[in-house]
Amino acid sequence: MTPTILVFARRVGTSCIVLLGVSMLIFAVARVIPGDPARIALGPSATHEAVDKLRAELRLDEPITVQYGHFLSDLAQGDLGISLYTNRPVVVDIAQFLPATLELIFVAGAMMILIGLPLGIASARYRGSWVDNSIRLVALLGVSAPSFVWAVILMLLFAYFLPLFPIAGRISDTYAIEQVTGFLTIDTLIAGNLGAFGNAAWHIILPAFALALSGIGQTARLTRANMVETYDKPFIEMARSYGVPDRRIAGRYAFKPSLIPSLTIIGLDFAAMLGNAFLVEAVFAWPGLSRYGVSVILRKDLDAIVGTVLIISATFLIMNLIVDVLVTFINPRIRYSRGRT
Amino acid sequence: MRTLLKLLSAASLVAALGAIPQIVQAGGVLRLDEVAVGELDPAKASDYADSILMFNVYDTLVIPQQGAPGHDPHLAASWEGEGTSFTFTLRDDVTFQSGNPLTADDVVFSLDRMQTIGQGLSYLFVSVEGAEAVDANTVRFTLSQPYAPFVSSLVRLPIVDKQLVMANLGEGEGEMGDWGQAFLSGNGAGTGAYRVVSHNPQEETVMEKNAGYFLPIAESAPDTVRLRYGLEAATVRTLIAQGEHDISSQWVPPEVLGALSGGGAQLLTEGGVTGFYMKLNTTKPPLDDVHCRLALAKAFDYEGGVKIIAVTDEVSQGTLSTGAIPAAMLGANPREKAQTRDLDAARQHLADCKYSPEDFVLEVTWIGEVPLEERFALLMQANFAEIGITSEIRKIPWALFAEQVSNAETTPNVSQVYVTAVTGDTDTLLYGMYHSSAAGTWQSPEHLNDAEVDRLLDAGRTGATPEARQEAYSALNDRLIAISPTIYAHDSQSVFAASNRVRVPALSDPAMAFGLDGFGFTFRLMEMTE
Repeated sequence: MTPTILVFARRVGTSCIVLLGVSMLIFAVARVIPGDPARIALGPSATHEAVDKLRAELRLDEPITVQYGHFLSDLAQGDLGISLYTNRPVVVDIAQFLPATLELIFVAGAMMILIGLPLGIASARYRGSWVDNSIRLVALLGVSAPSFVWAVILMLLFAYFLPLFPIAGRISDTYAIEQVTGFLTIDTLIAGNLGAFGNAAWHIILPAFALALSGIGQTARLTRANMVETYDKPFIEMARSYGVPDRRIAGRYAFKPSLIPSLTIIGLDFAAMLGNAFLVEAVFAWPGLSRYGVSVILRKDLDAIVGTVLIISATFLIMNLIVDVLVTFINPRIRYSRGRT
Repeated sequence: MRTLLKLLSAASLVAALGAIPQIVQAGGVLRLDEVAVGELDPAKASDYADSILMFNVYDTLVIPQQGAPGHDPHLAASWEGEGTSFTFTLRDDVTFQSGNPLTADDVVFSLDRMQTIGQGLSYLFVSVEGAEAVDANTVRFTLSQPYAPFVSSLVRLPIVDKQLVMANLGEGEGEMGDWGQAFLSGNGAGTGAYRVVSHNPQEETVMEKNAGYFLPIAESAPDTVRLRYGLEAATVRTLIAQGEHDISSQWVPPEVLGALSGGGAQLLTEGGVTGFYMKLNTTKPPLDDVHCRLALAKAFDYEGGVKIIAVTDEVSQGTLSTGAIPAAMLGANPREKAQTRDLDAARQHLADCKYSPEDFVLEVTWIGEVPLEERFALLMQANFAEIGITSEIRKIPWALFAEQVSNAETTPNVSQVYVTAVTGDTDTLLYGMYHSSAAGTWQSPEHLNDAEVDRLLDAGRTGATPEARQEAYSALNDRLIAISPTIYAHDSQSVFAASNRVRVPALSDPAMAFGLDGFGFTFRLMEMTE
């Protein structure tokens, strides 16, 4: 077994243990939140008999360990229970809402990479110049305000005062696209409808940018800081003395060693966006999983809370795993040092 | 990287060229919003959004009269009966959206289904022993005891297509499985004027006109309706201002409604059956003394409260209360007898109270999910301070509140609740609030136990004639004002901002209004002007 596969296998094993721990924790915590889930689900006017019946159906009268056993048994069959919020299987809800959020954070993640990294590189390359100062100011603005503030500002600027972008939703009402993957930008292409694709892409720009702004700022600042440090290394000095062009030094010699911390932060930000997207989804009426997650917590919808948290945790772990693998490939020293330990 | 950038540029160009022309006003399409989620199963409908869906996708045997108290036959052609037996003759020209004809079996099935599932507003039918189909067009309801509001309760019994539901039963215990719950949570099975095209409980429900509806629908009524869920106030404001939305929900803050009105939007209103109440725990000191309660009731600034929720100089989200019963309902006091502030009387009652204000700190709560209530908590704190009562304000989440009120000891001194008469009848407003058998729910944190109130509530519930009921409720209203288990803060009025693309007579002309929350959103009675 190669060192890389060994590292990968270890990380997968650790992730499974973490997921099990998360499931135990959230299963217990969800049951400690004040309020009777059966009463909340059935509404304030439901009869005591109806509430007792639902409590029995939810097995809420049984010891928590027995309830958890039932949960694991159902989970093994791919059943996460029924949401009391939507009255549908939690799996169906997640399948409907998760793609919307994933699509949003994939685009936001792409923006972080495509905008944040170049800004960081340019800032480092032109250190001390007006370019550097301007980029640092923009980056600081990006990290200093939360996403939902940017969401409202962007909506006001580019949808209200300058009606360039749509305000809400994932696609205009005039398009009816059959859901295949749940990613509208992909489903519209599968349907061969370029107009609808453009419309879906147009809808995602503002919410994704609002969500990405903080990450863009963070990525740019981190990339700049690391590159500035790298620029002071002797091998850069040597490259300069050999007459290697500045652009090549920046892109090839200074950027690559600086990429690892940036990549790690991007990976973490990417996964964290799953949980943080709630307010952006609320402002842009984006029917995603984060909004669903908050709604089910407020309604103490036990099965849906556990299901949503598990999915978010799993995504977080998967993203960490991907970043680890990428870092291993970028830096062979990490690969081999890990293999030896 | 360059190739990727080129591809992204191309995609952006396609987006810009292909999509921007889509910012157009949709003729014949009505777009409105409500809080999530929209419950499509009529047996579980209880919230405002659920009611809007129910009243448009389904029909009921009777509907409230427009601009007047009482009920008109709807799916029923006529009815007769009193006491414990009511017989309805059905119209013979009604078909479900599936094409199946409406029969008495569907009515019996709908009642059985609602009672068995036991959710939503099924509690309204606990006194109904059962229904039987006398023949294909006649159905008889038998009650276990006389229940005067029975006919008005039928506005909450939507009739479902038995054949369609039976063909779509899901897994569950017994022969009836899940009673079609899985199917009806995503599909319609009614006779209503609008059929469900698509339904996502967190995003939107799309409905279109039912061409086979048994009543004529005006050409100008919306062809398609998009009921969106969970839009933020800022989003709604921007959407309406840009002409991309037609009617806001009632939950938009008054300042936003005012701003929209200032920008040219019309304001629609619906009221008459909801009250905003400051509930006083009558079992704990100091509010177990009627004089302390009366001191609070007299110290409260009713006019100031209505100003807090004013949208414009003319429109407010509430009107001055005249007592426990909102002014448009059976037993209400006339508008001239509005509750007023009287600080001298308040001080006198406080002097007569066996507790001294120095000896207690009043706990005033507000529900965390209703930010507007914080303003009323602050108003009360200031008002009570004027007569020397110290109070502390506590924010409390709804779930915790519902749990705490089940025990008189843990129920706060003062809590704030909106209560609606879900059938429009006074019984459904007051019985759950004040009958001693109903104490300890979110509607009844007063934990009131007053024999005279119980007697009058029972008299109103069983009164043989409207006059007898009127007399009972009028006396009850007086009694409730005299013992003040509650501060009757204001009669609530729902205010909606709407674009000028739509005309809604039921929400803009009192002569066309229905005395039932949500019924004003009967889409077939709306008109699109563009």
